[in-house]
Amino acid sequence: MNRRNFLKTGMAGIAFLSLKTLGCSSATDNYVGTEFDLTIGAGLFEMIDGRSVFMWSFEDQRNVPRMPGPVIQVKEGDPVRIHVYNSLKENHSFAVLGVPGTDTGPIAPGESVAVTFNAPAAGTYLYLDPLNAPVNRVLGLHGAMIVMPKAGNTPYGAPTSAVQQLFNDLGTTPQFPKFALSPAGWDPARFRIWLQHQIDPIFNNQAQADFLAGRASTVQAADMQAKFLPRYFTINGKAGAFASHDPDISLDGRIGQPMLVRILNAGLYTHSNHLHANHFYVTAVNGVVQDNVIFIDSYHIFPEDRVDWLVPFVRPPDIAGDESIQLRNLIPNELAMVLGNVQQSPLIYPMHCHMEISQTAAGGNYPQGSVTHFNFLGDVDGVDYPNSNGM
Amino acid sequence: MALPIVSRGTVPAGELPEFHKFVCPPGSGGDNPDPLPATFSFKRNLLVGIDLNLPDGGKVPMWVIEDPDAPSAQQRTFPSRTIRIPQGALVHADVGCQGNTHTIHWHGIEPTPMNDGVGHTSFEVDGHFNYQFQPRQAGTFFYHCHKNTVLHFEMGLYGLLIIDPPDPAAPAVPVTYSVGGPGFVARFNPLALVSTDHAIHYDVEAFWVADSIDSRWHTLGHNAFMQKCDDQHPVDPDTFTQDGFLNDFRPDIFVLTGIPRRINDTTPFAATDSPLFGSLVAPTVKVGQTLLIRVLNADYIIQRFTLGVDAEVIAMDGHALGVPPFQKYSNLIPLPSGTPFQLTSAMRWDLIVKPTVAGPIPATVEFINQITGKLLYTARTTITVTQD
Repeated sequence: MNRRNFLKTGMAGIAFLSLKTLGCSSATDNYVGTEFDLTIGAGLFEMIDGRSVFMWSFEDQRNVPRMPGPVIQVKEGDPVRIHVYNSLKENHSFAVLGVPGTDTGPIAPGESVAVTFNAPAAGTYLYLDPLNAPVNRVLGLHGAMIVMPKAGNTPYGAPTSAVQQLFNDLGTTPQFPKFALSPAGWDPARFRIWLQHQIDPIFNNQAQADFLAGRASTVQAADMQAKFLPRYFTINGKAGAFASHDPDISLDGRIGQPMLVRILNAGLYTHSNHLHANHFYVTAVNGVVQDNVIFIDSYHIFPEDRVDWLVPFVRPPDIAGDESIQLRNLIPNELAMVLGNVQQSPLIYPMHCHMEISQTAAGGNYPQGSVTHFNFLGDVDGVDYPNSNGM
Repeated sequence: MALPIVSRGTVPAGELPEFHKFVCPPGSGGDNPDPLPATFSFKRNLLVGIDLNLPDGGKVPMWVIEDPDAPSAQQRTFPSRTIRIPQGALVHADVGCQGNTHTIHWHGIEPTPMNDGVGHTSFEVDGHFNYQFQPRQAGTFFYHCHKNTVLHFEMGLYGLLIIDPPDPAAPAVPVTYSVGGPGFVARFNPLALVSTDHAIHYDVEAFWVADSIDSRWHTLGHNAFMQKCDDQHPVDPDTFTQDGFLNDFRPDIFVLTGIPRRINDTTPFAATDSPLFGSLVAPTVKVGQTLLIRVLNADYIIQRFTLGVDAEVIAMDGHALGVPPFQKYSNLIPLPSGTPFQLTSAMRWDLIVKPTVAGPIPATVEFINQITGKLLYTARTTITVTQD
């Protein structure tokens, strides 16, 4: 299909469901809404290698298709009303996984259904079309809902004592020194959403043929469960070099600026996400805030799981030399080096799934898969490394 | 009906070099850019090809990382030879590559990007490079090539990396312990007065490095299915290969610490299977002794472990649970006999077993497909407990 024949109306990536969102940019406003409109539609989504794949998607209020769907951000306990219109030729629905009272039930083609509920306990949730599971979700009908707590300095309304202690210690203890130019503690604006997914075009092609013929989808759940063999692996709809350089995916900060990462898996492939440079704390798994907060470098996310990480942004602990010397003074030659026409500053590390098949696209092309970057922009005393301006 | 197209993104002006480097990491080598005097040094060379011998006489070609300073029978093994470093040592690793470029990433160790061994954020080793790092946590880590990793790691380019804590009675003396034990391992100590008190003695050390192999992959070349380098258009669709199968992993051989079994061979893993690794997989320990088992998923699928004896999880990913300051928020985890646990790729747990009764203790490792959840293979082994 020649993509020049079609109007490019959108760009991949995460976007917040907001009346203030424009074009391809992602809203960073803390827009806390209570009423949201979603349209279930379809689009062609360009993969990392330039091939386009048909997907169903939850479109935002301007009918821009998105995979994943737009982020719904609400506050714990607030009333939420979601109005869903089905523009496709077969039944679809909307539900928030694990939250009773959020399921619209089947919506017939051309019909709308609204669902109202009170926002559940603060945390990270997956919304999806659960019909014909896993088909509708895997063909693109999924997104993230994040619920903010009413109060407190953690992401949770009822943190465990271990999680509360961790967040109290950020910026106030010797092991978590405070970044000089920010207040102590985790800044609630410092979070990322990583919605991981995988695409096996065979099923998308079948849905596309049905769509173009004007008939209901013929994709079978049992078929997909048995034969799914993904060729593309995405984070927020992006992969490889694009996912690594997307400011809504990559982790960016100075030493002493911790970041929360909300990870979801909408597909069928179990990922094992590995972070270089820092270990991370697993603070919540599938809505359960952890009593035993493990500190690790690699962790699984099974299909439909949601896992929260707190990345401390501490100085990478195994850099050789005197730990009291600021890094810019300890490794000046490294920061000044230019390799492959790229200066080795700021300090860039990867995060990637270690089930390394997920690092491929179209069966090869390593590392154009489920990967992003973890960027240290400056020292804890407030002096940035070269090239950190604007990040 | 025109479908809207959602673009994959565009390469921002000025980021072309980064996108090109992502696809085509540069080669480099030589001295470390900010060198400090080393207190511990070693060498590794890659890659070398060896054959993995199967019980039925068959062979699978593997790629391994050579230790040129080892006794000759241990220079080229699968897994690659274990590195042991005293906690806190300032390390120089002289890594040599012949013929092709590679890297070594020290997984779980957290140095600067130039020492992290990831090509697209730094470089690939051309000739020799002196990696430098200073491991401050004692625990279980591993090392592997991080170029075309999906293939190179699967082909065998990995080995264990153990950071050994000092004896709490002599905390200023850096030491490393023999593979197989005895030694000391980091573990939370509720009576600790200083940080070096968080360690316990073990008598016997086992390694369960569980892996699987798709022998169809073992005929591929070093750069199989890599994208073409085009510095002006690094993500042009024409630079991508379309005919690869490195997304299609169908293991037909299952491995515990280098000891293989074909998928239809259910023979348990025994100490006699391998002179180098047998007793590390199927250890013998006495009643009243302490057994340490270092468990690593070096695979691309899910692994589920079950032991027939009570155990305790003391560390994950090289860091001991419960040890302040960073692990103030975690605790040791009791693992009652028969309780399974699942690990996915690169996760590693350290377990302590203190058997009280003589006899054989069964253990299984189930290999599970990471998409379908189907059980592919069950590896069985035994921990032998003797009276004395």
